[in-house]
Amino acid sequence: MGGSQEFDRRSLLGGAGALLFAGASSAKDLGLGPSIHFGLTPVFLTNDLELLGRLEGYLERSAGFPVTLVTRRTYQEITALLTSRQLDAAWICGYPFVAHREELRLVAVPLWRGKPLYQSYIIVDQDRKAENFTDLRGDIHAFSDPDSNSGFLVTRTLMAEQGLRPENFFSRFFFTYGHRNVIRAVASGLAGSGSVDGYVYDVVAGIEPNLTKGTRILRRSELLGFPPIAAPRSPIDESRLSALTRALLTISTDPDGRAVLDMLRLDGFMAEDPTLFDTIAAKAALVGQAG
Amino acid sequence: MLSRLNPRSWPITVKVPLAVAVLMILVALLLSERVLAGLTETQARHLRDLAQSYLDGLSSAVGPSILREDTWEVFDAIERAQELNKSLRPLETIVTNADGQVIAASNPRRHPIGSPLGNRQQALSSPDQSFSFEAGADTASAVRKLSYPGRTVGLIHAVFDTRHLAAERRNVILALITTNGALTLLLAAAGWILVARMMRPVRVLTGHLGLARDTSAMPIASNIVARQRGEFGRLFRAYNALVHSMEEHDALVKKLAEEERLGSLGRLASALAHEINNPLGGLFNALATLKSHGHLAYVRTNAIGLLDRGLLGIRDVVRTTLAVYRTERIARDFAATDINDLQLLITPEARRKSVTIVVANGIHGTIGLSSTPVRQAILNLLLNAVAASPDGAEVVLSAEIRDGALSIMVADRGPGLPEFAAEILCGSLPAAPWRDGGGLGLWTTRRVITELGGHIDVERPPSGGTVLHLILPVKRAEELPHVA
Repeated sequence: MGGSQEFDRRSLLGGAGALLFAGASSAKDLGLGPSIHFGLTPVFLTNDLELLGRLEGYLERSAGFPVTLVTRRTYQEITALLTSRQLDAAWICGYPFVAHREELRLVAVPLWRGKPLYQSYIIVDQDRKAENFTDLRGDIHAFSDPDSNSGFLVTRTLMAEQGLRPENFFSRFFFTYGHRNVIRAVASGLAGSGSVDGYVYDVVAGIEPNLTKGTRILRRSELLGFPPIAAPRSPIDESRLSALTRALLTISTDPDGRAVLDMLRLDGFMAEDPTLFDTIAAKAALVGQAG
Repeated sequence: MLSRLNPRSWPITVKVPLAVAVLMILVALLLSERVLAGLTETQARHLRDLAQSYLDGLSSAVGPSILREDTWEVFDAIERAQELNKSLRPLETIVTNADGQVIAASNPRRHPIGSPLGNRQQALSSPDQSFSFEAGADTASAVRKLSYPGRTVGLIHAVFDTRHLAAERRNVILALITTNGALTLLLAAAGWILVARMMRPVRVLTGHLGLARDTSAMPIASNIVARQRGEFGRLFRAYNALVHSMEEHDALVKKLAEEERLGSLGRLASALAHEINNPLGGLFNALATLKSHGHLAYVRTNAIGLLDRGLLGIRDVVRTTLAVYRTERIARDFAATDINDLQLLITPEARRKSVTIVVANGIHGTIGLSSTPVRQAILNLLLNAVAASPDGAEVVLSAEIRDGALSIMVADRGPGLPEFAAEILCGSLPAAPWRDGGGLGLWTTRRVITELGGHIDVERPPSGGTVLHLILPVKRAEELPHVA
């Protein structure tokens, strides 16, 4: 992977500098140093640099390690970094978690509205007459990410249950690689319908009502396991991982942490059993069988 | 009415401001055309540059996505580009693939994904980049062909809102119209004021000339002349000098006429003296006979008879003269008796020349014409006729009323009226009475007749001599019944 090689080379070059500079910011540049590498997927509300800064600040202070937040365009890239043990942990989606269950361990699951659960929405234009999913036949459909549970797997499973395939059911479909982008695609009319993370949709509806104003929810899925924070089954560094886990689980007790949670509209993080994601695993299995 | 429509008949105070306005409008049109052409060029160039940079940025952003037909990335790039280039006011941006099918558009509802926008042929044959902007239009459009070496992969169609440019253009046009309109009105008004000022002396002069034509010439008031400098000052002074010389001329003419009248009276007086003188010799002879042979009864009787007849003749002549001239001091209407008086007046002169006067008086009572000038005119004509007549010839004077006019005919058997004399009598009234060979009497006559509103016709009958017809319109028509 070219990106990671580049990453390593830069880290090695930065190593000499690390000796000269004490403090978190210089140590952070050391790719393989004591810095916690924490991956974020676009499940998350992207483009919020303030949020990233605050999260990074909280994690550094709380975990006692420098923290490097790693973002990539697709789920796949983050998942690949995680499974190849280039990240200490990453906030990924339930689907890649169940897909790579053998290689990953569950660190924590966010609590939204008090529960580690969320839904997948199928959204359509506000004025659209459609009443159920089959009315969407022939649509241009916007998926979020092929590795997203809410933004792809749930809808794909729904189709598989009826023996449908996206390429036959929809006239056209595309991936926006971001849940917010799905909302934008549907709101602008680029897509007739879209599969979106219910948590993201509800949060965006609160923050940017103008964006969701033109859309409505056609179908809500059953409650599913919230996109979790996962780590390689055998951690890169046990102490860093446990420090990170502790920081996450105690986030709601810290003022800075609560500020981060407020921005994320989350209640906290909880250690959960991986069986939480069995429903997602079942969907993945169904889709896998459908081929 | 039609003459009013003819620009040639318009006053100069209208013509000059109109000409100024027309010229200004022409200049304004020319200037406006240049300004607007420049504005259009600037707007087009500016817009084209911005559009090119917009399309450059968008091309590099969407290039790889087009190859992958990544709808979302293309759409996102379009949205970002439109957001970044707000100053360019992109209305719509459409990216199509090489087949002319929409990959993504800024307004997906209007141009849904996969909808056709032209065809492959059009896409391939379109120029690498085109730009169209029409001055005053609400939109401009640009097309960019996206080519990777050797292959056309797609097209970017962009439409830009140019209403602000159209508004700017309208504002410029409005500003041009108001400025030029105001300027035109201002200059036309200035032209009118200027010309009116410049023409004021001309109006003064025109007024005086009109007065001179209608009544009598009046000099321009000295304060007006003093105020006026330059050419018009000189013109005013020249006009006043002209009026002055005309006045002198008129005075001279009056004096000449008077002198002429006195001259003709002198001739009559001379004839009168002759009339008196003729019998005087006989009377003195009779007196001498009485002195020497008065004791002889028959001689005495004869001499006394002779004296008596001679004195009676003299008395008659004196009486006539008195009768004729006594009334001259009182203005009265011409009467039939005036013809008889004229006959009496001319008789001595005629007799002296052995000319017979034949009178045919066809008028009765009075006629609505002033007696003195009419008598003067007829007397002059008679004197000329008598003077022109050979010894023993006949001069005929006839008077009658015809067609509401007094018609006088004077016929003589002379050698015929010379051409210059006829010209004086009948032609345009000459300015001056002088002419080589005399003619003062004729000129005075003509002047009198013109003043009375009459005219003279000269006739030269084949039998010789001259026949003059003097026609004087009778103004007081109510008098005519008496005349008839």
